[in-house]
Amino acid sequence: MSSTTLIAVGLVLLCSSLAALARPSIEELKSRAVLDDYESNVVFGYNIVMETNKYAGRYTGSTLACTSCHLKGGTQPNGFALNVAGLYPKWRSKNGVRNGLGLRIRDCFLYSLNGIMPPEESAEVQAVAAYVHYLSEGQAIGKAPEGYSVPTLPETGSDPDPARGQAVFKRACTACHGADGHGTAAAPPLWGINSYNAGAGTHNVAKLAGFVWANMPLGQERSLSHQEALDVAAFIYIQHRPFDPREGRLRKLAEKIYRSIWGGDQTKSSSK
Amino acid sequence: MSTDQSESSARTPGAHAFGLLREALPDFGWLKRADLRRELFSGGAGALLVIPQAITFAYLTGVPPEFGLYCAIFVGFIASLLGSSVLVGGPNTAVSILIGMTVIPFAGRGSPLFIEFVFALSLLVGLIQLLIWLLRGANLFRYFSPAAIVGIKVGVGVLLIASGVEGALGMSPFFTYFAYEKFYLAVAAWHDSANLCAVATSAATILSGLLLRKHWPRAYVILALLIGSLVGMGIYGVLGPVNSQLELLGHLRMAALPLTVPTLAPPQLLFLEHTFFSALAIAVLGLAQTLVIARDLKATVDPNVDLHKETFAQGVANALAPFFSTFAGSGSFNRTSVALEMGARTPLSGLIAALAVLLIAWALEPVLTYLPMPAIAGVMVLVGIGMMQNNDFRLLRSRVEAAVFTMTFLAVFFLGLEVGIFVAVLVSIGFLVASISKVGLSISRQGEEERIAITGNLFYASLDRLAKHLRGSPRQHTVLDLSKVAYCDAAARGTIEKIKTEREQQGGRLEIVEP
Repeated sequence: MSSTTLIAVGLVLLCSSLAALARPSIEELKSRAVLDDYESNVVFGYNIVMETNKYAGRYTGSTLACTSCHLKGGTQPNGFALNVAGLYPKWRSKNGVRNGLGLRIRDCFLYSLNGIMPPEESAEVQAVAAYVHYLSEGQAIGKAPEGYSVPTLPETGSDPDPARGQAVFKRACTACHGADGHGTAAAPPLWGINSYNAGAGTHNVAKLAGFVWANMPLGQERSLSHQEALDVAAFIYIQHRPFDPREGRLRKLAEKIYRSIWGGDQTKSSSK
Repeated sequence: MSTDQSESSARTPGAHAFGLLREALPDFGWLKRADLRRELFSGGAGALLVIPQAITFAYLTGVPPEFGLYCAIFVGFIASLLGSSVLVGGPNTAVSILIGMTVIPFAGRGSPLFIEFVFALSLLVGLIQLLIWLLRGANLFRYFSPAAIVGIKVGVGVLLIASGVEGALGMSPFFTYFAYEKFYLAVAAWHDSANLCAVATSAATILSGLLLRKHWPRAYVILALLIGSLVGMGIYGVLGPVNSQLELLGHLRMAALPLTVPTLAPPQLLFLEHTFFSALAIAVLGLAQTLVIARDLKATVDPNVDLHKETFAQGVANALAPFFSTFAGSGSFNRTSVALEMGARTPLSGLIAALAVLLIAWALEPVLTYLPMPAIAGVMVLVGIGMMQNNDFRLLRSRVEAAVFTMTFLAVFFLGLEVGIFVAVLVSIGFLVASISKVGLSISRQGEEERIAITGNLFYASLDRLAKHLRGSPRQHTVLDLSKVAYCDAAARGTIEKIKTEREQQGGRLEIVEP
């Protein structure tokens, strides 16, 4: 008898302590009168992710927000979820060095937001890092979480075709992204000067196709076939967008002027 | 004007309150003598000058660059509106460094909590300054030795150079408490972590500044920033952001009226409790700089400058700063002297400069976005060198002044700015007391009779020598001439009376010539 009551009391204590340990929601944090440094950074990071141009406007260059790709503030599995703090630092082929979480976030500002790379110590990077850590609570360190990044689509046996993709785009995407793909109040621009640049991770047919298939059109996820997702991704891929900032703007301009004056063969110089 | 006001206010409480009210209300008497064209030009030049400074000082404080510009706009505007002189207020080197150094142990640099602490601290600084105004503290700043101010300025110059070191080398911030550690770290670690693109940019800024300084002593900082920025933007444009790793300023998202209410929850109050003495140091340092300029203006330009009114204006501007999303500031030596040189004589130029900052920042935003931070670090080094050199070192020929300067400077350098300020105050007061308590005794003899003429102040601290002399020869007949004594307190009077009775008992005589 006494042993069972002891166990019951122990269970109640355990449950209540677990409840106390559970991660508070952002709304709960926002309603608190007093936040410590970490919590205030988490809230600030959440604000940056949701309204990037308002809270981190110093370093953005597009009308996109983090949550344009990291859906639902980075909480959507298979939608570039942000619960990935345990995967860093890691080597990435993109820049050929070992990336900490800070550098990874800075890269997003430079490529996906087509902005200016903030310094590692900037308040914005620190806040987003705090938010990523907050989302990663309970994840195994060094192991990709459930629904990591976007799904890789299987081979369909047919190459992605932008022409077919245009038809898919007109049918399924224009309602929110606009007929010209430059975005509306409901959805972000997919190309044009206000979208991500050619150095971004989504400027990649396979990755974009996985994202589109798993998450688009919003509310009718996975309604497109694998082939349709690949086609529309190819269509979006070939549109004009800001160029890859890894090549300096001045050098790009000088090359353009050189070619226009001396009539350099474009295919020749790019094959070099 | 201020002195007869305080004399009259000593009579009745009503007159006292009326005097305070007159200081607290803006006085537009200067409108009649304002030369609109001159004030306009000098205001515009002041706005151009303050923009790079404001961005630099925001960096020193550890807040976004917009906040520095808000400081130039709102703190400058309120200080000029309530002030009585051409004195230009706004962001200030020493105040910014001190705020940053005070808050950094309590929150991550630039984080939301950090900014709340900066706001709370600025509010407290403003309130302390208003308290100093109520207690007629401006009178006390007369005793702040000029040598101590030179010591603080040279020390701040070193701190400024130190705070530019990491930015100029393109390293991440060191976060050392003592400035001199940074030089060591920079030398020890430069080959691992210095960024050559950043070094080229800052070197172009610093070298062009040093070369241009002789020809354009006022505008050289802006020219150097321009040259350094062009070099930096060129490198950035050719190599790109990834290869150059140059840090840029980024977009300025300026609001016309960035109204906020500073948070004063328990963490902020606890923070203020911990940092009260730092707030006091910031308040004293800010007022010291403001009032030194005001005193200078009173002596050279406009005898109507009211030190108490300037104290009030600075206090209100700083207390209101957090409500406009910015931090505390003070009067600025270099911007006031530029305004004077451009012909400004009234607060109008400061008001125009404050408004012009907003317009210019909006207009230049696309260019300012690509301003390389190493060029701004180079400007910090240049301003630091300027602060160390633009001083009147003739002051230091006197041994006492040299000692005050050395002690203040060493304290700032080795113990930090806020300790340095208290050392400066203590040392100034110490030497002042030492010089006051020196009593001149000129002793002449006419036969049996001894005559002692006294100059200086006779009070409990300076009495010893006289009392010892008089008690040494109790049977003497002495005439004590107090007619040239500036001040004689009750303790001294009592002691002299006592010695008189002692002498009379022992057969001597003490005759006192009253003042």
